[in-house]
Amino acid sequence: MAVDKNLLSGSTTMLLLKLLERGDMYGYQMIAELKNRSKNVFELKAGTLYPLLHAMEKKGFVTSYDKAADNNRVRKYYSITKEGLQALQDKKNEWNTYASAINRILGGVNCAY
Amino acid sequence: MHTDKISSFLKLVGEQIRWEKAQPIVVEEIQNHIEDLKNALMDDGLDEDKAIDQAIKEMGDPVVIGEQLNRVHKPKPDWAMLILICGILLLGLAIQYYCYYTRSSISDSMSALSIFQKHILSIVVGMILLIVAYFIDFTIVGKYPKTIFIILYIVCIYYILNGNLINGQVQDTIYPLLLFPTAFAGFVYSMRNKGYIGIIICGIGFLLPASIALLSPNMTMLFFLCISCLIILTSSVTKGWFEVSKLSGLLIIYVPTAFTFIAMLYGIVSSGWRRESISVFLSNDNIVTGANWLTTQIQLHLSHAKLIGIGSPIDAVGQTLPAIHTHHLLTYIIYNFRWIAFAGIILLFSTLIIRGIILSRRQKSILGYLISLSVITTFTMQCIIYISVNLGFAFFSPLSLPLISFGRKYLVVNLFLLGLLLSVFRTGDYMRDSKTKIASNQLLPFIQYKEGTIHINLKSKTIK
Repeated sequence: MAVDKNLLSGSTTMLLLKLLERGDMYGYQMIAELKNRSKNVFELKAGTLYPLLHAMEKKGFVTSYDKAADNNRVRKYYSITKEGLQALQDKKNEWNTYASAINRILGGVNCAY
Repeated sequence: MHTDKISSFLKLVGEQIRWEKAQPIVVEEIQNHIEDLKNALMDDGLDEDKAIDQAIKEMGDPVVIGEQLNRVHKPKPDWAMLILICGILLLGLAIQYYCYYTRSSISDSMSALSIFQKHILSIVVGMILLIVAYFIDFTIVGKYPKTIFIILYIVCIYYILNGNLINGQVQDTIYPLLLFPTAFAGFVYSMRNKGYIGIIICGIGFLLPASIALLSPNMTMLFFLCISCLIILTSSVTKGWFEVSKLSGLLIIYVPTAFTFIAMLYGIVSSGWRRESISVFLSNDNIVTGANWLTTQIQLHLSHAKLIGIGSPIDAVGQTLPAIHTHHLLTYIIYNFRWIAFAGIILLFSTLIIRGIILSRRQKSILGYLISLSVITTFTMQCIIYISVNLGFAFFSPLSLPLISFGRKYLVVNLFLLGLLLSVFRTGDYMRDSKTKIASNQLLPFIQYKEGTIHINLKSKTIK
């Protein structure tokens, strides 16, 4: 199902941090993993991923290091920092507040009275 | 043909990033991404040509990607550090003004006003040097370590032969020696992968500045150099720079250091005027006009200082704290401005040092790490020595209280080093230690003739 990109834009940082919480990854790996785990709903473009990742690194949420890969290549791996874990927790709380508010209005399964 | 498409895509991305230093690293990551995408598509059954076309299509618009990355990668000064440096400089200026205001004449040769004017002039010159160092590519320290080492050494030798003697000591060697730890960081950097031999060469390299400190003779400088260079060398060994076992590497450094230290202690204790000076220091005679008069003066002022409120009056004999603009400024400040002023100064310096350590630990390249570490160490060691002396633990003669105490060359050298530190924090993230960059392969011509061999560059591999 095609999903409006606007729905995704605010929460990409959270999703990337969540991926990195499980282990260090390089850029392409993150896109593939996100696509796989969302059953093809989230198809992040490189043009969105890298500016976001680099901005997250500047904020101190992630840190990167080089690791030799096959074919003489050097891959840039990203690793979540303490600040990143804290940011993930904040984003999760924010998301839960937002999602439950939407659900209340839509009257979904978690509909509150 | 295939690589052409990828190259022109990467070229377009790179062109959008205005800051040249950021280009290679960013482009290399995007290049890896395209390669991964292409390989995945080929695994799905596409031939290489189609896989490349598809991969480039999936990447999106190179100009848009480049522009977005350009917004993230802009050189930014570390404002907190810059504000701290300016704050300490202004505080120093205010303190020097206070000294000028309260004391009309400091010595026969220099009036308090001329000292204050010279202090201002030094700040102006120092700030110009800070700006120059800020825009310098700090990697030259790693590229030409031997040249820098030799130039500093020649300057030192010149001062030893021609410098003015003050109390039997060549003072001028202090300033090039303050730059030695940073030059030493570059020297250690050039010893990558050289194993135990590399560590030993670094040890021999250290003997050059150490010999100058001994010849000067300046024991404070020797102590300063020992600690600074030990910190740099120890960090390099523990970071695996020499590719040796950490324990053996540390033993190679510390066993000879310990022996030298013991031998020096023995030399001091067994004979000579140094033993006498130490016994005077330890005797604590507490007579204002006695052999231990300087320590007594300091202790007298400190004991009369109050936590809040100006220090209680000292009798006429005790009012002669010397060198208040230079060596004993802090004691004078504590006495006149209470212990709370001391706490404020310590807080300012600690903040700068701690921030410096945090940022240098974040450096990705070992060169950035070693240079920032060396500058922070130089700064910290000056502070520790100065503060100890001003609190009455006067084993050494003090260097400077960086950016605050009067000393034109000290100010200029310290500001230059801080400029270099800011330069590392500005560009350090974009430095790589490896000498060959993967992204630069695409810039190599297909066939190259070098040193009697023909090199054919096929993608990233070179066949001879």
